[in-house]
Amino acid sequence: MIANIDTTLFKDIDEPGLNTIDVYQRRGGYQMLRKALQMEPGAVLDEMLASGVRGRGGAGFAMGRKMSFIPKGTMEKYLVCNADESEPGTFKDRELMQKNPHLLVEGIIIGAYCIGATKAFIFIRGEYDYVADILDAAVAEAKAAGYLGERILGSDHSLDLVVHRGAGAYICGEETALLDSLEGKRGNPRLKPPFPAVQGLYQGPTLINNVETLMNVPVILQMGGAEYAKIGTETSTGTKLISISGQVKYPGNYEIVLGTPVRDILFDLAGGPLEGRTFKAFFPGGSSAPVLPLTDEVLDLPYDFDSLAKAGSMLGSGAIIVFDDSTSIVDVAYKTAHFYRHESCGKCSPCREGTNWTEKMLLRIKNGDATPMDLDIIASVCEQILGNCLCVLGDAMAMPIGSMIKHFRPEFEAYIEQRREEAGLGIAIPQVNRDASAGPKPLLRPAA
Amino acid sequence: MPRPEVKEITFSLDGREVTAPEGMMLVDAANKYGDTEIPVFCYEPKLGQPVGACRMCLVEIEGIPKLQTGCSTPVRDGMVVHTQTERVHAAQRAVVEFLLINHPLDCPVCDKGGECPLQDITYGWGPGTSRFIEPKRHFKKPLELSPLIAIDRERCILCYRCVRYSQEISEDYQLVLHERGAASYVGTFDGHPYVAPFSGNIIELCPVGALTSRAYRFRARPWDIEGAGTVCAGCPAQCNVELTVRDERVLRVLARDHDEVDDGWLCDKGRFSYQSVHSDERIVEPLVREGTELRPASWEKAISVAASALKKAGDRAAALAGGTTTNEEAFLLQQLIRDDLGSSHLSARTGPEQPLDVLRALADPKLQASVPDLEFAHTVLLVDCDPIDEAPVWDLRIRKGVRRHGTKLVVASARPTALDPVATSALRFAPGAGESFLVALDAALSGDTGNLGGAASAAGSNATAVREFAETLRAAGEEVVIVYGERALTGDAGRALLNVAARLNLGAIANAGLLALPGTPNGRGLREAGFAPGHGPGYTSVAAPGRDAAGIAEGLANGELHTVWLHHADPLRNYPDRGLWERALGTAQTVIAVESQLTDTVREHADVVFPAEAYPEKEGTLVHPDGRLQRLRPAIGRPRGTGGMPGSGVRPLWQVIVEVAKALGFETGSFLTGAQVSRKLFETVPFYAGITLDEIGGRGVRWVEREEFVSPDWDPASLSVPAALPPAGEGKLRLGTYRPLWAAKEVDLSPALQFIRARQVAELSPADAAALGIGDGDRIEVGNGTRVRAQAKIRAAIPAGTVFLAEGTREDNANVLTHGLVEVVRVGPGTTDPSAVPAQVQPAVEGLAEAPQSAPLPIPPREVT
Repeated sequence: MIANIDTTLFKDIDEPGLNTIDVYQRRGGYQMLRKALQMEPGAVLDEMLASGVRGRGGAGFAMGRKMSFIPKGTMEKYLVCNADESEPGTFKDRELMQKNPHLLVEGIIIGAYCIGATKAFIFIRGEYDYVADILDAAVAEAKAAGYLGERILGSDHSLDLVVHRGAGAYICGEETALLDSLEGKRGNPRLKPPFPAVQGLYQGPTLINNVETLMNVPVILQMGGAEYAKIGTETSTGTKLISISGQVKYPGNYEIVLGTPVRDILFDLAGGPLEGRTFKAFFPGGSSAPVLPLTDEVLDLPYDFDSLAKAGSMLGSGAIIVFDDSTSIVDVAYKTAHFYRHESCGKCSPCREGTNWTEKMLLRIKNGDATPMDLDIIASVCEQILGNCLCVLGDAMAMPIGSMIKHFRPEFEAYIEQRREEAGLGIAIPQVNRDASAGPKPLLRPAA
Repeated sequence: MPRPEVKEITFSLDGREVTAPEGMMLVDAANKYGDTEIPVFCYEPKLGQPVGACRMCLVEIEGIPKLQTGCSTPVRDGMVVHTQTERVHAAQRAVVEFLLINHPLDCPVCDKGGECPLQDITYGWGPGTSRFIEPKRHFKKPLELSPLIAIDRERCILCYRCVRYSQEISEDYQLVLHERGAASYVGTFDGHPYVAPFSGNIIELCPVGALTSRAYRFRARPWDIEGAGTVCAGCPAQCNVELTVRDERVLRVLARDHDEVDDGWLCDKGRFSYQSVHSDERIVEPLVREGTELRPASWEKAISVAASALKKAGDRAAALAGGTTTNEEAFLLQQLIRDDLGSSHLSARTGPEQPLDVLRALADPKLQASVPDLEFAHTVLLVDCDPIDEAPVWDLRIRKGVRRHGTKLVVASARPTALDPVATSALRFAPGAGESFLVALDAALSGDTGNLGGAASAAGSNATAVREFAETLRAAGEEVVIVYGERALTGDAGRALLNVAARLNLGAIANAGLLALPGTPNGRGLREAGFAPGHGPGYTSVAAPGRDAAGIAEGLANGELHTVWLHHADPLRNYPDRGLWERALGTAQTVIAVESQLTDTVREHADVVFPAEAYPEKEGTLVHPDGRLQRLRPAIGRPRGTGGMPGSGVRPLWQVIVEVAKALGFETGSFLTGAQVSRKLFETVPFYAGITLDEIGGRGVRWVEREEFVSPDWDPASLSVPAALPPAGEGKLRLGTYRPLWAAKEVDLSPALQFIRARQVAELSPADAAALGIGDGDRIEVGNGTRVRAQAKIRAAIPAGTVFLAEGTREDNANVLTHGLVEVVRVGPGTTDPSAVPAQVQPAVEGLAEAPQSAPLPIPPREVT
């Protein structure tokens, strides 16, 4: 275990009854709300800006800045908590909401006060039905205690909080698709700009934040923004919940200080590889993050937003999925592609067709009817998806698949040859150029 | 409502300075001002906000790291755009390759081939080859999306245009995308046929051959056809159309986008009723009655019979005009009947006429609203009309205003309109009480409480409701456009309407005013050409005003009038009181009809029949209800007679009138070309002065924008309260009628539209239906003495105590009924006519769109070379 870690969100998380308002208040709950209501909204915002806390949902955008984009004025504004935790490998918000729902409610109330929103929604994924029940109960308790509703604690601030259960689509975790779904439409991403901060839910300015981000709001207020900023690295402040899964001894949720080396996380917290195995690679931040092979260099990386970006991947939602030498990278690639093909909404062409095509090619590799040139096409298709889509779902498939081919090409090639042999096709002879300029050659014109 | 101001900005496009209006989307600005095409699929400005779904228009903008969609990026001053870099080309090639993955590439057998944006863009921006060797997705195809439209889901590139159209333009909310991702497909929610008044527009919107017209399918390829621009003469909206012509046959009707007329949309009647032009039932040569039978005759004979009948009739001749009558025909005919024969019995209206001072005031250019005003006004008021039936594209225009510009719509009508769901306020009055309502509204606006109560209750409403309605009308802003149906103009209604306009000060406010919805397509033109009993061309007074339509019928029935010329007019079908007209035409000495088929009127009563031109054959001008002169241009030749001899067959109607006049020895007989007639018309009508056919061209000329029209300012005078209509009760209901879009002879003769042809349907309120023991779909009879058979339709929006019947249907026409109060009797349960119900669309996916994962893919091992 890592020493000298002050857990904040996970502090006494397993205390019995923490999900009830009595225990929560006994432990000092809702004091930060009282404090915030004494302050000017602008002062609360300043604390958030000073904390430098970055969004915990995946994109890692600074929360304070996002809040500051919400226009001032009397129009109807909204706060939406994104609890559609659907990223494969991510399960931190579930535990947080299940065990400490009031911290989220408090964070939402303070956040709404800060931006002047009078309506807030928690969009929780449909599969988390029992967690939604817990949230419903917490919202009812908070309402009965006067923390929600008209004129909260005698202040001018009013807030309605609604827990909305999603219908089980990964794309609804994308903020604009979430808004469409919340409005009762098909959950398709919207074109940005306009960004939700300007024109979001029901055309009003909307702040959308992840569960963990909003839960940090009371924590930041308690510590003071500047104090909070001292935790972690300069650009990745605070603690982060990580969900470790895959082939490790102790999978689970852990709270770390950002900047902790990957080696400490995988070997100390997660207990290292299973008996007799060695680590091969991992998704550092959910299945949308490019895969990194677990070399010594990677193991020495500090786990924070910028270091991982520099290494060619991303921190994402903090979901670490580990593979050891017993897992075929082709299977990982196929599973990943299958997931994104299935979850693509179909609105924009590169994602709809690109995920579909990639999955089909990977299936062909598995079926033993591919040649190593197909790897070039897969890589090229992933290139063609990257950056060309309406939302980031297409990129979320293109990045990991592209990285797998980049880092594990020999394994792919060996797999292809082996499956071809098993299928009785003989070895593939790489002769045809099948990159973007592939295809029949133009007819030779007779010389004039 | 202020229209957006346009500011010019300069941006850099591929290194060139381009000046364009600020806020214009980059693809439009590049195309229009920068001479650079940025390819698009999903982008269509007519559909509202861009969605950026197809990703075809990606361009590089300096300062933004990712490529941006040009369709959703408004141009800004100083923006630096690159459309020709290798990065942009690569992205565009990628998108084309992706779109072609599942596209069948069956261009040689595809209707769209040759005029297909996907083809063009593939040639221009695509990679040329595909690296995709997996099986494409397969759907059962082609399927009937509706009786008019075939859908081929394999060709669909999922650009969302049709779905957006259905959801946001026509607002019929029928088309949706099923499933998700690569398995998505377009369809209706429960697989029912997509039947809607404007469904055909999706065929034109589709950028590939996924949605094709069933009527046009496999009839021609783009290199076989010619396009001919003209104006649809099917209704007063006069949409600009381009006819697709192959071998002198009209095969298709496309929109010829005109912002100020139709906004680029067409209704299904306009789009598909061209089939009636080539119907076997068309009359293609003159007919003359010999004994009891109509027999084909030579032109010389028909003209001499008509001329001698008119000569005998003299000032006891009369004429009715309607349908596709052009200004020129109306002008010549009124000159023949009025100036030459001395009779002013000319009517282009089925109902009573308004006094000349009212007509002049209503035509005052200051008071004329235009079609775009419907979109940008603060408030649009509909008085006793339903655009969906009477001028369908206006319905879309009003919806657009409400949806995109926040226009408030208020509706006052007897029958619930299709626009009620988007209206801020809807007021119901008794059928035929338009006059009382207008008097009440005038009283409410002027604060005349005495008149208000009386007139409101005469209208079957109450003072509070009318007062609240008047407040709503004023609330949103001063720019008010009043759209009034011709049926509202009875008695003092015209004066009341002018009072209302004066009280709202519409004459002085730009972009506000009145917009009439005439009963016939060229209603305004016929009036301005002088085809009216009370005035000559350009509203000049006449010495002896003539009779209106009902007066002509009575005059014929009692022998005061001898001969009637029916110019595109069908009294037995389209005029009220069929019984009277039967007597009138039966008694008339000579009935001269200009008609394209053997209608009841022609078959039973006509003595001389001149074959009528269809609108694609016509040359002449029409006047749009907002004062725009538009040109009809002949797209095809006129049909020849049965022998096929040159000179036989259909002749231009202006020429027929001229020849009849020549046979009578009148001045009217001296015109040699259609253009001469137009010139004479423009010279005669004072406010057409200076207009030429060339100037009208393809876009039309709004004379009301350039001509002063001497008309004194309307001084609102107090009006008397009209008599109340008898109330419903004692087992009787008030009878209201309306003219469905589909009740037209063009629809009857178009095979494609048979499924939607208007049949008699009686609309009842749930309360009345329950009291009478009538269920939805039951067979019933409606009438008072004479009865009309109908199918019952229970509509919650119909006010209790009222029953509505359709006018103008071929069978069971409501015009046989003359009483305002009717009995409704149940005859029996409804029968479902299988031919009347379009076939259900089969489930979309044949098996699975994808092969099951575990199964080996059916690809044979390939030779690797």
